[in-house]
Amino acid sequence: MSRKHRKHFEEIVERFVELKDTSELMMDLAYSSLLLNSKELAEDVQELEEHMDKLHTNFELLVLSSGFKPEEAKSFLGLIRLGVVTEKIADAAAEIAEVVLRGIKPHPVLKLAIEEAEETVTYVQVTENSQLVNNTLREAHIPEETGMWVLAIRRKGKYVRPKPHTKIETGDVLIASGYAEGEEDLKKLASP
Amino acid sequence: MPRLERIEYKPISVRELFLEMKNLSELMIDLAYSAALFNDKELAEDVLELENRVDILTYLLDMEIMIAARDAEDAEKLAGVSKVASAADKISDAAADIAAIVTQNIGIHPIVSEVFEKVEERLTRAKVNEDSILIGKQIDELDLAARMGVDIIAIRRNKDWLINPEDTERVKGGDILIARGAPFGIKEFKELVEGKLQRLED
Repeated sequence: MSRKHRKHFEEIVERFVELKDTSELMMDLAYSSLLLNSKELAEDVQELEEHMDKLHTNFELLVLSSGFKPEEAKSFLGLIRLGVVTEKIADAAAEIAEVVLRGIKPHPVLKLAIEEAEETVTYVQVTENSQLVNNTLREAHIPEETGMWVLAIRRKGKYVRPKPHTKIETGDVLIASGYAEGEEDLKKLASP
Repeated sequence: MPRLERIEYKPISVRELFLEMKNLSELMIDLAYSAALFNDKELAEDVLELENRVDILTYLLDMEIMIAARDAEDAEKLAGVSKVASAADKISDAAADIAAIVTQNIGIHPIVSEVFEKVEERLTRAKVNEDSILIGKQIDELDLAARMGVDIIAIRRNKDWLINPEDTERVKGGDILIARGAPFGIKEFKELVEGKLQRLED
């Protein structure tokens, strides 16, 4: 296979991983917005939905420009289908967020469910002098230190889905959930 | 066609239903991508089975809603809950669509799988052989994450699924373990589960 060909496939995978991560991040945030009754998180989901549409179109165009032979068409169809699924997941996540944003007072049944949680969402910015900078999430031990769980990272207007090997950078906004008492600890850790 | 069973009402808290739906959807999606990208029929079938479970949960949630609604005001408030249930159902349908790429023999271009494997961790499933040294051990005792970078994300025991199993859960013979990790660790893990490797290296 030519180098150019290989590069093309690498780009397809890269774009697909971005689609997949974005849709899963939306799902995580949407469920969290519901369980924590957070409009802020729900708004983040809506914002990602717009971004997602653009990503999906670009992905489809890239796959379609692969110049495949007729007998290869099926395995490219598989890729197109994967893309469609990420879009479906994103749509479903946006629907969940919409329920939160419509802000109808939750019914006692749901209210009970939410209050049992006693958890909150917090947004903290990582400052230059924080010990978190340049550590991966695995190394940072945020849940152990603060009891807060990082749901997403906002970096330069983009959202990053946190993975164990994700490195924390100065200026990152950590979106985290957990018991209210952990909020102060996280703030101290991120912006001392 | 699977046989469709009657779903009986049982009281479960809405929060519990939501949490289970959330966990199931996440697991299904992970399993489905792995199934499609590595052309794994067994994983694909697990996804389809889990989809059936989400369907049942959706029914149960709808029943909770119907019982809770007494007047127009209730209906207004509960409509949101029902909307969420339908969104959760859509997510699980999406996962089933990915699994269908495998079960319908459409497949994914092999070079894509090859590149994907380098950037993302993959999932595996393995059945615990009766002579595996893992039997009777607690998950935290095994310390798989530190030893080989592998996490057990679900256990299928007979008809039941334990999702994100507790650290104190013990491995039983015949369990099907679903784990995530880097290719090297996954290989060692599979050998341990299948009883081909009889020693837990430090």
